[in-house]
Amino acid sequence: MSPAAAPDLSMFNRFMVTFRKGDIIFCEYEPGDTFYLLQAGHVQIVRIIGDLEKNIDVLNPGEVFGEMAILEEAPRSATTIALDEVKALEFNRENFEVLMMGNPQIAMRLLKLFIKRIYDQKRRFMILTLEDVEAKVADVFLMLAENQTVDTSAGESIEFKTTVEDMSHWAGIPAGQCREVLNHFVAQRRIELHPDKIVVRNINDFARFVGSRRKHQEK
Amino acid sequence: MPKAVQYRANSIIYFKGDQSDRIFLLNAGKVSLSYIDIENGQEMRDLIKTGEFFGVKSALGHYIREETAIVLQDSTVMVFSVPEFEQLASKNTRIITKMLKVFSNQLRRIHKQVQTLLVSDEQVNPETGLYKIGEYYMKNKRYAQALHAYKRYLVYYPSGAFATDVTTKITSAEDFLSRYGAGEGPAPVASAAPAATAAAAGLAPSVAAAPAQAAAGTSDLAQQYYNAVSLVSQEKYMDAFKAFKKIIDDGADAEYSTKAEFEMAKCLFYLKQFDSCIKSFTVIVQKFPKHPEMKDAIFFVARSYEEKGDKARAAGLFKKILTMGTEDDPVIRKVKKALRALEGGGKA
Repeated sequence: MSPAAAPDLSMFNRFMVTFRKGDIIFCEYEPGDTFYLLQAGHVQIVRIIGDLEKNIDVLNPGEVFGEMAILEEAPRSATTIALDEVKALEFNRENFEVLMMGNPQIAMRLLKLFIKRIYDQKRRFMILTLEDVEAKVADVFLMLAENQTVDTSAGESIEFKTTVEDMSHWAGIPAGQCREVLNHFVAQRRIELHPDKIVVRNINDFARFVGSRRKHQEK
Repeated sequence: MPKAVQYRANSIIYFKGDQSDRIFLLNAGKVSLSYIDIENGQEMRDLIKTGEFFGVKSALGHYIREETAIVLQDSTVMVFSVPEFEQLASKNTRIITKMLKVFSNQLRRIHKQVQTLLVSDEQVNPETGLYKIGEYYMKNKRYAQALHAYKRYLVYYPSGAFATDVTTKITSAEDFLSRYGAGEGPAPVASAAPAATAAAAGLAPSVAAAPAQAAAGTSDLAQQYYNAVSLVSQEKYMDAFKAFKKIIDDGADAEYSTKAEFEMAKCLFYLKQFDSCIKSFTVIVQKFPKHPEMKDAIFFVARSYEEKGDKARAAGLFKKILTMGTEDDPVIRKVKKALRALEGGGKA
């Protein structure tokens, strides 16, 4: 949503916080009890995986972040850094309801965000409940394809901007094991492994494979 | 304009797998949602109360319907398009806040379900995780970011395993930041405990955390273990599970790791993760065929099967335990009671 279309939040100015360029707003793993509505500037979301800082997303004014803190004081799942001067409204569970009551647009945006999170988590759950490791990894490709909303019916090869570490994170298996599985897929000529991307030759082949494993498990 | 639609008993409002942007509000009658529980694969039914919305998540999120909406008694249902629903909700934010609560509960639940499946995953304990973030930025000469992470560490873990190290690093980072600025100057993470080197090498967090824990001493470990046991007695099974897992991850002591593994499997039972419970105990029993608490292990497996509805298997295992002990053994008494309940419980 563009800043121009954002609702008037001037009455919440007392919740306004400012960050300088480069400031960490919150760190992955620290307990979270606040969430933010970005008013001005840009926020980068990163995770440190192994020895690399991985960019997850860059947020624009109008977007919400840290919203999981509304649910419980779970550790933050990523680090957020101000890319330029950032102004954001900072809320906690106590004043959250006041904000929502007066701002249906924000409430609706949050509602949709929660819906997406529920689906994402459910999808992840489906991957994790697969017993077969190869099926897990294959199902991660299917999930990525769903998120890219690519047309899978054509049966053409699909490129994923993903890494072994990413794949292992989603599949819930150690990176070493994930690499083994991917190498096996390479040997079977089902995928191509590149430093910055993985190409799946035929996603439908993976869909059939995962489907049959899931069916087999249900028996 | 939303319109009122009459549905006859036994008709279907929508099917699982449908894609639609309609949202429904039950005005009168009886509607049930039938869906497959993702955890146990069983068919579940939720009754919609009058005045309740349904079909919201799939319509707002543009997903296919996950459930079938069945009319149990003749019903009147208001049908909204997404824009109509949004308009209504914008005038009555209570609708949204109420839904936010429902969805946040669902989200919390699925989040927990996912976390329990990540037992063998890369879950890092938050303390080590936060420390490693500081280490990462320090190493990359991003002193301001390192300082932030280190300072947060001290707020939450003032006497944590890395506290001394972090205090020294804060002084260095402040010094470097003022003297050289970001991106310049030394990156003194190699001076840290072996943990830092392991982290830099991208090793698994459990490996990285081990030396620090070992240094903390086994009496601390015992304390840690009994704190976790006490969480079990407080019925805080999720917290207990995490605490036991941390002991295993830290890997400082084989004896405590073995004990913790056993307790973790028990927690899974209380968390109703019956399949995972069975799996965990099976692994333990295979690893330690002479486990001193073998009877207990089988007992939890049997109870898990019972909870899953597999009474024959449960009874078989209970009977097996009976052959392993005598009358004065509390486990045997527990088993006899469970068997009586199982056999007297009929076919339900």
